[in-house]
Amino acid sequence: MLSGGRANAVHAHTNMAEPMELLCWGGDWDLPSVHTDSLIVLAYAKFSGAKLAVKSIDWTWRTITASVPQLHWEGSTVTEPAQILNFLRKQRFNADYELTAKQGADTMAYIALLEEKLRPALLHTFWVDAENYVNLTRPWFTSHSPFPLNFFVPGRQASLALSRILLTKAESPLLNITEVEGKIYSEAKECLNLLSHRLGNFHFFFGDTPTSLDAFVFGHIAPLIKAPLPSGQLQKHLNQLENLCQFCNTILKNYFTDAAAEKRMDCSLTATHDPVDANLQKLTQLVNKESNLIEKMDDNLRSSPQHRPHRHETKPSALASERNSPLLSKH
Amino acid sequence: MSLAAEAFVSQIAAAEPWPEKATLYQPLKEDQILLSDSASSLAVQTFLRMCGLPVQVSCCANAEYMSPSGKVPFIHVGNQVVSELGPIVQFIKAKGHSLSDWLDDVQKAEMKAYMELVNNMLLTAELYIQWCDDYTATEISRPRYSSPYSWPLNHILAYQKQWEVRRKMNAIGWSGKSLEQVYEDVSQCCQALSQRLGTQPYFFNKQPTELDALVFGHLFTILTTQLTNDELAEKVKSYTNLLSFCHRVEQTYFKEHDGESQSGSSRHSKGSLP
Repeated sequence: MLSGGRANAVHAHTNMAEPMELLCWGGDWDLPSVHTDSLIVLAYAKFSGAKLAVKSIDWTWRTITASVPQLHWEGSTVTEPAQILNFLRKQRFNADYELTAKQGADTMAYIALLEEKLRPALLHTFWVDAENYVNLTRPWFTSHSPFPLNFFVPGRQASLALSRILLTKAESPLLNITEVEGKIYSEAKECLNLLSHRLGNFHFFFGDTPTSLDAFVFGHIAPLIKAPLPSGQLQKHLNQLENLCQFCNTILKNYFTDAAAEKRMDCSLTATHDPVDANLQKLTQLVNKESNLIEKMDDNLRSSPQHRPHRHETKPSALASERNSPLLSKH
Repeated sequence: MSLAAEAFVSQIAAAEPWPEKATLYQPLKEDQILLSDSASSLAVQTFLRMCGLPVQVSCCANAEYMSPSGKVPFIHVGNQVVSELGPIVQFIKAKGHSLSDWLDDVQKAEMKAYMELVNNMLLTAELYIQWCDDYTATEISRPRYSSPYSWPLNHILAYQKQWEVRRKMNAIGWSGKSLEQVYEDVSQCCQALSQRLGTQPYFFNKQPTELDALVFGHLFTILTTQLTNDELAEKVKSYTNLLSFCHRVEQTYFKEHDGESQSGSSRHSKGSLP
C-alpha cells in the first residue's frame, strides 16, 4: 500500500535537477508555518514526498501585494494552494494516487465546505477580533515582515479579511460585522462537527495514508489549535473535538518533527547526493511510523471512544467497533 | 437575521401547518431573471415539490428588493418571509418536513459538503460568467437585469449590480481567473458530482434530498438557458449520468404536476419520509 505513492516519489527524485523553492510565512507555536495556505502546501509536500526548499519571508521580501505562498521552480512561479498542489501532482508528487474517483469527488466537496464555512470564522478569529489581532496576530506579522513593509502588511491583511467576510457573508441589511459574527461562528462550529463526524476514529480522512484533503484540513485547524489566542471561542470548541486535535498532533509528530532535524541535515547535503540511500532511510522511517500508529490504534481500542461527551453510550461504541474492525482486518 | 431571531421564528414556524397560499417570489421569468437567480429559484421549487408542499410562483420585477436578505428566491408563508435554500430548508424542517432526516451523521456531512461545492463552484462560476465576462455582461446580463426600468435608472442599477458582483469576485480571488479557467472549474465540479452520483437514481440512493434539488436546479438551468455561447452547457452535457438525473427529476416532479389536477395532494409524499 505504501509502494504506489513512494515509487512515484523515487522516480521523480532522479529527475529533479534543482529543488523547488517555496516562499511562505515562518513558523511558530510548534507549527512549521502560522499561515493556513502555507501550511497546506507544506503538509502536502510532506505527504507526497516532495522536497521543497522552504524560504521564510524575511528582509528580502520586497512587495506587499505578492500572494503567499509561492512556489518557484525553473523560472516559473505558482501561487494559491490549489494551483500549487496541481503543479506538484503534475510533477509526479501525488498523495492522492490511491483514492477512488468517488473519494476524489468527496475531497473537492469537503474542501469547498472548509472554504465556505470555516475560513470566514478563521479570518475573523485571527484578523478581525480586536483582542486577538492586537495581542497576537499583528505583533507576529509585524516582527516577521521586513522594514518598512511591517507597517503595512498586518493592516492590509486585516482589511482584506474584513472585506472578504462582509462581502461573502453579510447580506444587505446585515452590513454590521457584529451581526455577521454570530452567524459565521455557528457555521464554523457546525463545520468542525461535521469534519469530526467524518473523521471518526480513523487517523486520516481516507484510511491510513494522508491525502490532499488531510493537508487542507490540517492547514485550517492547526493554527487554531496551536495559537495562543487571548479570546478563542472557536478554539475552545475545537479543543472539545478530540479526534481532530489528535489528527493534528499525529501529523505534526509524524511529518514535521523530523523536519527540523532533516533541515539541518539537508543543508549540508548537496543536490547530487545519492538519492537511493536517502529513500531507504525514508522507507525505514515510514515503517517505524506505521508501527507506532498500529500501537496507538491498539491503545485507542482499549480506551474509550473519541466522540463528544454528551452522546449516549450505545451509539458511539457501536460506531467505534464498526470502524475499528475493518482497520484491524487490514493489518 | 441574528441567531436569537432565527430561533424565535422557527418556534413560530413550528406552530402552524403549511398554508394553501404559500408564494414563491422571483424576478420576471421572460425578461428579467438571470441564470444564477433562475437556478436558485428552480432549486427551491424542486425542493418544495419533493417535500410535497404546494407553492405558487409569483414573478415580480422587484423581487430582489422585497427579499429579506437581498437574494432571490424567497417564500412568503403565513406570516414569515424566508429567502435562500439553506434557511428555507431549515424553516421547512421546523414545520416537520425533512428530506434528509434518515441520513446518518457522516452522510449529512457529505451532503452539506456537496451542497457547498455546488454553491462555491457552480454558483460562483455562473455569477462570474454573467457579470465578469464583458461580452455576456453587455449582451445579456445588463439589458435583462434592468429591463423593467426606464432610463436612467436601468443603467445605474445594472452597473451597480455589476460592480457589487465584481467586488465579491475580487474578495474571493476569482477576479484573476480567465473564462477558460472558470469553464475548467465547472467541468471539474460536474465531474465530482458525476462521480458521486455514479449509477444511483439520486445522490443518496433511493430518496431525493436537498442536494438533489440544488444540483437539479443548477444543471437544468444551465442546460436550458441560452447564453452567448454554449460552452457551459456542453461541459455539463459531457456527463451522461448527470443528464439522465436531470431528466429523471424533471419527469418525476415537474411533468406529473402539470398533468394532474391541482389538488396539491401528493403522489410525491413518497418523496418525503414516514
